[in-house]
Amino acid sequence: MRITNNMLINNMINQVGTNMTRMDKYQNQLATGKKISVPSDDPVVAARALKLRTDVAEVDQYGKNVKDAQSWLDMTDSTLNSMGDLISRAKELAVQGANGTNTVSDTQKIGDEVTQLRNQLVHLGNTTYAGKYLFSGYSTDKELLVSDESSPNFGQFAIPVSNGEQIKFEVGIGDDININVPGSDIFNNGAAVATPPQVSPIIQHFNDFITALNSGDSSKISSMITTFEGDSDNLLRVRADVGARSNRLDLTSNRLDSDNTNFTKLMSDNEDVDMAETIMNLQNEQNVYRASLAGGAKVIQPTLVDFLR
Amino acid sequence: MRDSFFGLNIAVRGLYTAQRNLDVVNHNLNNVNTPGYSRQQAIQVASQPIALYDGTGMVGTGSDVIGVSRVRDEYLDFKYWSENISSGEWDTKSSQLSEMEATFNEPSDSGFSTITNEFYSSLQELAKDPSSMATRSLVKQDGVTLAKYFNSVAAHFEKMQTDINYSIDTKVNEVNSYADQIQQLNRQIYTSELDGNTANDLRDQRTVLIDKMSKVVNIEANEVVAGKLPNGKDDKHMVITISGKAIVDHFNVSKIAVKQRNTKLNDEDVSNLYDVSWADGNKLDIKGGELKGYLDIRDGNDGAAVSASYTGAQTTSPLYKGIPFYMRKMNEFVRTFAKSFNEGLIDTNGDGTVEDIAGHADGYKLNSSTGDQPSGIRFFTMMDGQGNNMGSTAFLAQNGATISDKYDNITAKNFAVSEDIIDDLNNISTSGQAGQQGNIDNLNSLLAMRHNPYMFSEGAPEDYMKSLIATLGIDSQQAVRISGNQDNIVKQIDNRRTSDSGVSIDEEMANLVKYQQAYSAAAKMINTMDQVYDTLVNKVGVGG
Repeated sequence: MRITNNMLINNMINQVGTNMTRMDKYQNQLATGKKISVPSDDPVVAARALKLRTDVAEVDQYGKNVKDAQSWLDMTDSTLNSMGDLISRAKELAVQGANGTNTVSDTQKIGDEVTQLRNQLVHLGNTTYAGKYLFSGYSTDKELLVSDESSPNFGQFAIPVSNGEQIKFEVGIGDDININVPGSDIFNNGAAVATPPQVSPIIQHFNDFITALNSGDSSKISSMITTFEGDSDNLLRVRADVGARSNRLDLTSNRLDSDNTNFTKLMSDNEDVDMAETIMNLQNEQNVYRASLAGGAKVIQPTLVDFLR
Repeated sequence: MRDSFFGLNIAVRGLYTAQRNLDVVNHNLNNVNTPGYSRQQAIQVASQPIALYDGTGMVGTGSDVIGVSRVRDEYLDFKYWSENISSGEWDTKSSQLSEMEATFNEPSDSGFSTITNEFYSSLQELAKDPSSMATRSLVKQDGVTLAKYFNSVAAHFEKMQTDINYSIDTKVNEVNSYADQIQQLNRQIYTSELDGNTANDLRDQRTVLIDKMSKVVNIEANEVVAGKLPNGKDDKHMVITISGKAIVDHFNVSKIAVKQRNTKLNDEDVSNLYDVSWADGNKLDIKGGELKGYLDIRDGNDGAAVSASYTGAQTTSPLYKGIPFYMRKMNEFVRTFAKSFNEGLIDTNGDGTVEDIAGHADGYKLNSSTGDQPSGIRFFTMMDGQGNNMGSTAFLAQNGATISDKYDNITAKNFAVSEDIIDDLNNISTSGQAGQQGNIDNLNSLLAMRHNPYMFSEGAPEDYMKSLIATLGIDSQQAVRISGNQDNIVKQIDNRRTSDSGVSIDEEMANLVKYQQAYSAAAKMINTMDQVYDTLVNKVGVGG
């Protein structure tokens, strides 16, 4: 095939251009650290990249949700702990007050302490966490029990609350966990629904206890021991449930941590380039480019004109 | 007996021949870099010998240059023109599709998938703290960002359609201008070839114009025999046709023209796009070249039926996934997504029928009291003609027989967060029961939609957009590959053309030396003949 000088030059231009395109591609990869910059570079990698990014973002969010759920449950648990201590103290006072040797004035003094315990219990029932009432079910902006000590309704349920009012946080796809304890479960002896102006049974027990102490009714006082044991058992039941949920959250948290690592690794394997390999490729292409320039320069310059005297 | 000064004549002929050859070499060297130039060669023959009729043979009379021919393989030109058509089409498609990919901007930190992740993350945060105004504000803001993403992509595509429209007009003018120039060259070539010569440089210019024209539109160029000339030779006419009808026929030009459509081909088009047809009104079927690339991208809706209001001749849009296709898919996405999010109309179990579960409008506002009705607030609505976000009441007052039909008014360009949400964050209806602030049943229903694989036939909302972007990526990759291949083919054919008809400086320089020596020899011959005549005239027969 006949080759002309122009053909030599045009071919050299084409080939140097091709080399520059390849060099540019590796240069881009090195500078961005990613295999692709637009979907057309590799559509399959692009589609997977989008999916894996979503996965990593979701796992992150679930992790945050788990932490928030854990703090809510921790707060609930410590409040229930305080309530448990309170009822134990009340039981001790019942034992003390049931002693037949007490006078009415002795039991009245016990009655004062029990009054304080009762008030404290009502305030514990209205514990808030980050501005929301822990035990009010869905009505987190309203207090569970009437807390105004001077009111005749003190200790009544201020809002209707049912055991079905479970606040759920999502901690996985289709996986949610109930983080609250509705007030009806604790303060209504496990009965499903509480509506105002019903008085909470536990508070009623305290009220009865105070009345018995003030009047010195020792048989009533000693019957309060069993009553308070019943209340304590109910509370333990709720605490056990909260504890179980907290354990489940620990397991979920561990699983989410390892998911996060896995998905991040998958995402990186999919779209990130191996720096060492890319640098090597770039170096290689640079060598080819330089060789093509050098060779081309030597070949395109001389023509017969240079040699005719 | 022969003519005394015969020898001088032969030598002078030699001089002229050598000069003529040198002129051709000069011309070739001058035009080394002229685009489309084919090297010329002088046709040199020995001139007519004279018969002496005395038994001593015929006498040669020297050489003559009887013509200058152009070294060109016409077959390679045909091949070039046919491959160039395809190259033009795919070059255009590849560059336009690249621009569309850049508009979607995936994968990146500011594309659809990141924006959707943030929207759902803020909804998750809202689920943990439904009464927090700060979180509600975040949800509103992320919703606005999501809507604005679609607005901006749609606006960009509309601008692209308009820009391509102008390009089509420019290209049509370009084709017409080439046709005019070719027609003038036809005239010049024809008149100068009437005496039997070939008009070499004019033909080269015409070939260059046809090369350029073949990139823009699918032409076929032929030199047809249209009868016989008075001198017995064939009467050849250059005819260039597009899809069977001639645009240039010898001295006649039938131009192509653009005409504004007064109805839209696709519902998603901008208005007043151009149709390309023959200027005399006949339908023009463009099958290749840059014009086809532009038309496919501008009008292509993957072969879908045309808009109901279209009054033109076409029944389906071009079978290519162009801008209208992606607009239609985005419109479908925002409509279905808004409908499911707002109303809860979604297929929950894959049986193909749409169920009605809890949507945003079925929830209760933050500051609701017991006994209130569901909020009826639609989270996503649209912008009205003046660019203001519509509230839920205004949205429901629009055209559409059922609530489901009203969503057909939403497009990617006017998709927006409802005015109700922007004005009052309490309107974000998270609660499933009136008066219960901490109730997030409704919000959970909205969150679950993210993973519902039956919302679209392609799957969950993010799968839909992923598959759309992957489709674009694959089409774009295909266009880049085909365009690269065609470029190589065209370059290779061009190389063969240059190999055949390109000027080689080395060759011409060698020829230069050759003809210069011939000239010197002829000049020397003249000197010798001069001496001979001198001897003859001055020395022969002079008395001594």
